Amino acid sequence: MNAPHIELEDLRVTLGKREILRGLNLQLRGRTVGLLGPNGAGKSTLISTLLGFWKPSAGTARVMGLDVRTQAREIRALIGYMPENDCFIANMSAISFVRLGAELSGLPPDQALERAHEALFYVGLGEARYRKLGAYSLGMKQMAKLASAIVHGPKVLILDEPTNGLDPQARTRMIKLIQEMRALGTMHIVICSHLLRDIEETCEEAVILKAGQIVHYSNLEEERASNRRFVEMETEGDDGTFADAIGKLGCVCSVTAGKIRTVLPEGIEIRDIYRLAADRDIQLRRLNYKRDSLEDIFLKAMDAKEAVSGRL
Amino acid sequence: MAVYKRTYKGYAGPLTHPATRFLVLQRYAFRAVFKSRMLLMAYMACFIPCILVICVLYLNQNATVLALIQQKAGFIKVNGSFFLNFLAFQSVLAGVLTAFIAPSLISPDLTNGALGMYMSRPFSKAEYVLGKGAVIAFLTGAITMLPAMLMFFVQSSLLGWNWMMNNFYLANGTFFSCAILIAVLTLLGLAMSAMVRWRIVAGALILAVFAIGKGFAAMIDSIMRTHNGDYIDIQILLTKVSTNLFQVPAPIVDEIPIVGAWIALLAICGFLLWILNRKLRVCEVAR
Repeated sequence: MNAPHIELEDLRVTLGKREILRGLNLQLRGRTVGLLGPNGAGKSTLISTLLGFWKPSAGTARVMGLDVRTQAREIRALIGYMPENDCFIANMSAISFVRLGAELSGLPPDQALERAHEALFYVGLGEARYRKLGAYSLGMKQMAKLASAIVHGPKVLILDEPTNGLDPQARTRMIKLIQEMRALGTMHIVICSHLLRDIEETCEEAVILKAGQIVHYSNLEEERASNRRFVEMETEGDDGTFADAIGKLGCVCSVTAGKIRTVLPEGIEIRDIYRLAADRDIQLRRLNYKRDSLEDIFLKAMDAKEAVSGRL
Repeated sequence: MAVYKRTYKGYAGPLTHPATRFLVLQRYAFRAVFKSRMLLMAYMACFIPCILVICVLYLNQNATVLALIQQKAGFIKVNGSFFLNFLAFQSVLAGVLTAFIAPSLISPDLTNGALGMYMSRPFSKAEYVLGKGAVIAFLTGAITMLPAMLMFFVQSSLLGWNWMMNNFYLANGTFFSCAILIAVLTLLGLAMSAMVRWRIVAGALILAVFAIGKGFAAMIDSIMRTHNGDYIDIQILLTKVSTNLFQVPAPIVDEIPIVGAWIALLAICGFLLWILNRKLRVCEVAR
């Protein structure tokens, strides 16, 4: 098993008199992990703590084996961070902005300049790289922040609400870039978002926070696989007995609006359904593997009262 | 690799030394400051008095000139008062210069939320302040400490080793009085830039601090019938330490002890650092 890139052990963070993070236990090992939760759940505080902006009031947090209390600087050298809100210097061109980020991360000036060009081309701002950031659209600013976050080749990339305020086209481009980076396999990506669709499209695993506690963690790939046995069908030529026949195989079955929904038990495979339809001369016009959406998982987690700890 | 290739790769090349990273910020800040040609020209103008004074020092020891005006020992006396007056003039220029350049250093970063970008790198708040402060320190130092030191060495080269040894307190005074002046101006400039996001107001406030301090000092002095108000008058404090270092009698500012003046200036620097620490926050806490 891979070493965890982020480990939390009873992590507590108190800001003022309020305890924001309340005893988080977690080991993140996945290539792309989504941090989900409603507003005020503690997602941004967790990210700030990992970056060393806040010190834990109790417990520990480690990034790539480095303690956030004592090795914050070393951690920040390994992290690329794309903040949620505006974070740029208006009078600067994109190329200078990204280059400055690279130089602050320790790259020599010439290398930083070359990498800044590459990063801006990579995120699709190649033609606009000499324009002032203040003249950029919101989507372009998001891309410039992403370029700044990846310019130094981080081991862990933290994206805080990466699609915030983007139009559908820009959102699709951002999601595609994240998927590309995931496919490259050179960095771990942590995406913090309250947009379930973003997490669903980009992440292999998800952690759901609520009121400073982890209320659910899941391997989305496994969740998808485990729900594959839920089947939804549309038929042609059925005299109303097909559902009964499926039921006799041992499947729980329901018929609504002309659609047959069933859960296949152990030992029953999809080919048995095909065979049954063929025997009865019924056409299977549509057959879908229905699965729980992340929204279902999220809503279930929001109802949960108990915090959980997990190893992802 | 050609830059037009749309690809991404990690970085495994050499890294710069962490101790030199603050210079990155200083380099970028310099570039931003000198984008304004007016400011550049004004800054160049600050060197004119320095060049003139060095010329005067040379002419003061030039045999032909002295013969022409029929004097043997030079037409001006180069002593503590001479250096003090020169530095007093240059200090005013340094103060005005700080009022122009300091507001553009931190307030734009705070307005645009750029602190998150800096602090999420292996870069600390102290390095940020050092990098930004180095700009003011370098520019004000170049028109105060540097020419005054140059004057000392020019005079030493003209009058020889003995003069240099006998008047070494001038170099000492130049160094320490300029160092405290630069520290106060740098921290004041950065603190005002961090406090006020409107550049013009921040610039005005930097200059106003001197006037406001003087006003409050006078008020306290007249009400309390003491000279304790002088402890909040930066100008009096700087004059006090400078006159002491240059061994110039200064009856006007002779009311507060020299140790008290040094402590007050260091306390002001500490207070300005505290303001910077409070204002330079990546995340705000809603309590």
